[in-house]
Amino acid sequence: MTATLTTPAPGRTGGRKRRTKVHHKGAIFAFVVPFGVLFAAFYLVPIGYAIVQSTLVVEREGTFGKATEVFGGLQQYALVFQNAPFWRSVGRVLLFGVVQVPVMLGLALLFALLLDSPLVKGKKFFRLAFFVPYAVPGVIAAIMWGFLFSPDLSPFTALTQNVHFLSADLVLWSIANVVTWVFVGYNMLIIYSSLLAIPTEVYEAARLDGASQARIAWSIKIPMVRPAIVLTAIFSIIGTLQLLAEPQVFRSFSSAVTSTFTPNMTVYATSSIPNFNLAAAFSVVLALATFVLSFTFLKFTQRKDAS
Amino acid sequence: MFTKRAATVALLATVALAGCSSSGGSTEGSTDAADAGACAPSGGNVTLQFTSWIPGIEDVVKLWNDKNPDIQVKVQTGPSGNAGTYQNLFNQLKAGNAPDLGQIEYDALPNFRVQDGLEDLAACKDVVAAKDKFVDWTWGQVTLGTDSSVYGVPQDSGPMALFYRSDLFKKNDIPVPTTWAEYKEAAKKIRALGGYITNFSQSDINQFAGFVWQAGGQWFANDGSDWTVDMTTGASKEVADYWQDLIAEDLVSTYPAWTDEWNNAYNSSKVWTWNSAVWGANSIASGAPDTSGKWSVALAPQWNAGDKAAGNWGGSSIAVLKGSKHLYESAKFALWLNTSDEALTALNKAANIYPATKAGLDLPVLKEGVEFYGGQPIYDVFAQASGEVNPDFVWGPTMTQTYADVSDGFKSAASGKGTLLEALTSGQQSTIDTMKAQSIPVKG
Repeated sequence: MTATLTTPAPGRTGGRKRRTKVHHKGAIFAFVVPFGVLFAAFYLVPIGYAIVQSTLVVEREGTFGKATEVFGGLQQYALVFQNAPFWRSVGRVLLFGVVQVPVMLGLALLFALLLDSPLVKGKKFFRLAFFVPYAVPGVIAAIMWGFLFSPDLSPFTALTQNVHFLSADLVLWSIANVVTWVFVGYNMLIIYSSLLAIPTEVYEAARLDGASQARIAWSIKIPMVRPAIVLTAIFSIIGTLQLLAEPQVFRSFSSAVTSTFTPNMTVYATSSIPNFNLAAAFSVVLALATFVLSFTFLKFTQRKDAS
Repeated sequence: MFTKRAATVALLATVALAGCSSSGGSTEGSTDAADAGACAPSGGNVTLQFTSWIPGIEDVVKLWNDKNPDIQVKVQTGPSGNAGTYQNLFNQLKAGNAPDLGQIEYDALPNFRVQDGLEDLAACKDVVAAKDKFVDWTWGQVTLGTDSSVYGVPQDSGPMALFYRSDLFKKNDIPVPTTWAEYKEAAKKIRALGGYITNFSQSDINQFAGFVWQAGGQWFANDGSDWTVDMTTGASKEVADYWQDLIAEDLVSTYPAWTDEWNNAYNSSKVWTWNSAVWGANSIASGAPDTSGKWSVALAPQWNAGDKAAGNWGGSSIAVLKGSKHLYESAKFALWLNTSDEALTALNKAANIYPATKAGLDLPVLKEGVEFYGGQPIYDVFAQASGEVNPDFVWGPTMTQTYADVSDGFKSAASGKGTLLEALTSGQQSTIDTMKAQSIPVKG
């Protein structure tokens, strides 16, 4: 690498173009290799391994016969598509996402706009205060909220004994509450930093035209931070489909959270049977679903951009 | 711009996959490095890895390590079996780096056996020779019904009895129930006083299996070529209907077991009894410290007056996991841990572990009165129960899954949706499906 950099331009006659190309090649290589190696080791190889696992089936003879893994094509995927609890869990997280993601991003946007508005005092304090829940590990947050919701151990038993937050009807929304609490500040920060990047001339122009703060927020700020909102939405969609820690913790607080409550919990439960092949097939399907959903969302928002 | 975004999405989506497959590092477990039949000393100093969840096990192992500098045992502790340790062990087996020794409950042994995760200890003469030291039915549990194989060294058993608040029963003039019919009558009286006779655990399906076991039921059978699963007829149905009635009539509480809320219910005298195994003595003492001295233990209520039957809940063996290169040393340690007076006494002091050996039942420590139970020599009761456990109970090959699925059903039954019997019916079906998905031969 260093050799490439220090070598004097080899072909003076070759012109500038070729020389800069050689320079870049070395640099690109140097920068890409560490990423490429880690990406391959921790993403591509595990994914490939999961896909391979998902195409194998187990064969054995007798009650305790030795198991041999043989290629089974798409047999595991057939089991995935027949698995009713799995698809119920997918429906559950979709419902969760349809409600929770807009609420969370709406709040995040609102907080970001408030922080960005010149009317609010104590910005530094609020910026940190909104962000602090994100610094709490998800599992700890879930345990804390689990106790807050508990009918007998909550500090607010007057409320929790009358409203059963952990019952079958409400537990999904109690979990939504936890997730929202944790991630509002994080999403707010992404949107807020995007707000800070808007050049002040734009505001000046708007003010000269007589726009109020509300009008500036609505007609300038929100359209200009659209890419940030789209990004946070995609993060949130992915996060929703992969819900695991919060419902897993809530299992010990609520009878309504089953071992297959979310798709990822189904994967976990299947791998503890242990049926690694089926668990791998579940994971591949879940990843594809995540991809399709995120991609559809992007397409959808891009079409809107174009119009 | 478009492709860049698409690439980002693709990258993010892969997170789902990467997270799930991280468990498998290499391919199939190392093949028979220590082949069956090779139960010989390794020579030189040996360090054994041992995974367990018994509270205080480190102190017991220290006794061994101090005396055996050439065979050092390193303990790794974790959550109890079905709560995570089995999954860890299965992952480690898949990756080919399982510990030498693992704590495995009897009900999980067939599962490990089906997954080819156990070394056969029949090659170790000392283990085979120890057969007569153990209570008969515990030996049956580790041989899995064969004559030629031994898949673990029995550690403890979990004969069940009735833990009850003798002070409350006495104060309110309620006789201690000796039959399940009397138990229900007592439940009504206690409910009228604002308490609950017990908490129905929706997650301890092995406790429920203990009830079925006591009632003479049997969930699984295997004839060498096929498994059969029957969780919904005979004793299973009788037991399910009984508890269903108690739940429907609000005579039992339904706190999620092993939680602070559950502890609190016992600690605040809201719940009066617990049908549990001998090791439960430790759980009450640590979960409900304010009730010290107020508990007693009686034989479990019977289905018919005058019957003498006990169920069993839990009990573990120490198994040598596939791929261990130190079969001889592992077996030696496992035998010491589970048969020597020194280790059994220490295990009992640390975690109320109740030995699986015949001689162990006469240990001085098991003759003493226990302070938490008002000085009652509670192990006398369990010794009697131990002798009344049906020796022929068979576990299925996918118990973690069976427990999880039945538990899902029990949870909804406890919150008023469906019944326990329906939960057993769907649990039975999913058990059969799970076995078929792994080509485990099963009828039905």
